[in-house]
Amino acid sequence: MKTTELSLNLEIAAPPWNYNPSAWRQRLPVCLFAAAAFLIASYMALYQWRLIDNVWDPIFGEQTRSVLDSQVSARMQRWFHVPDAALGAIAYLGDLIFGLAGSTRRWQYRPWLVVLFGLDVIPLGIVSAVLVVLQGTMVGSWCFLCLVTAAISLLLILFAYDEVWSSLLYLYRVWLRTRNLRVLWDTFWGRASQVGDEVALAGTVRY
Amino acid sequence: MWPRVVEVMLGCWLGMSPFIFRHNSYQRELWWNDLGCAFAVVTLSLLSFWRCCRAAHFGLCAVAIWLVAFGYAEAPVPAPPALQNDILVGMLLLMFAIIPNEANLPPRSWSDLRS
Repeated sequence: MKTTELSLNLEIAAPPWNYNPSAWRQRLPVCLFAAAAFLIASYMALYQWRLIDNVWDPIFGEQTRSVLDSQVSARMQRWFHVPDAALGAIAYLGDLIFGLAGSTRRWQYRPWLVVLFGLDVIPLGIVSAVLVVLQGTMVGSWCFLCLVTAAISLLLILFAYDEVWSSLLYLYRVWLRTRNLRVLWDTFWGRASQVGDEVALAGTVRY
Repeated sequence: MWPRVVEVMLGCWLGMSPFIFRHNSYQRELWWNDLGCAFAVVTLSLLSFWRCCRAAHFGLCAVAIWLVAFGYAEAPVPAPPALQNDILVGMLLLMFAIIPNEANLPPRSWSDLRS
């Protein structure tokens, strides 16, 4: 009886936490910060496209322009055909989209979405933060807005890791329980199964 | 259905792009590519509203990959704005296309299992 009640509820705590990492309270900050970083990156892309003539920097002044017009940046544009700031903007928009999609129990119902969200936030976030530090050391100039987006990237990791961890732990527990690749595959893609529900509800705290 | 609505808007933007980026009349392949892809994007995303074709939006992945590949293959260095537009719209579409229709509800199989 208790299990039925729990499985009707989208707002359950996800192990190993005693809260729901897929709740809007947890996800909205990610979306807001990602939206801010998207706008900042788009602004820098506008400069790289020369749709605007100047770029604002209250601390490093002209240095931002030398970062955005650097050799490294030009090489990236030759490779990818689009400015690197535009690619960054797309990545932050991805954080926003994948953060918005899914129910408040998506850690269980759509692990693929949470894993994709995690891949966009965590490895890409680390890469972008490292790139910004490299700019400072290799180009020899700093860019205030780039530093802001790098800080947001790291903040997003902090906000998002708990949900990704819950999803991975859930998949791992389904694997431990069944040792069946087929079940694991179906669970990953969000197909319902009794065993999935049992695993998810084992050890959850109700609040 | 919010991902589908955004896709329709992106399709409209793609349909306007030849006029915004001013393709020349001899750049036939650019005109055909943008207008054809725009038609495909709007059609596929609207079809997803229809119950029998609700998976139609996955077809957008193919259109999106085509747009990105076309942009990369056609573009000289530096890439002209029209082709950069194709690449970026393709990337955007790819992100939206994989989001389910009723993205903020649990998947149907879970609702069925619980009821």
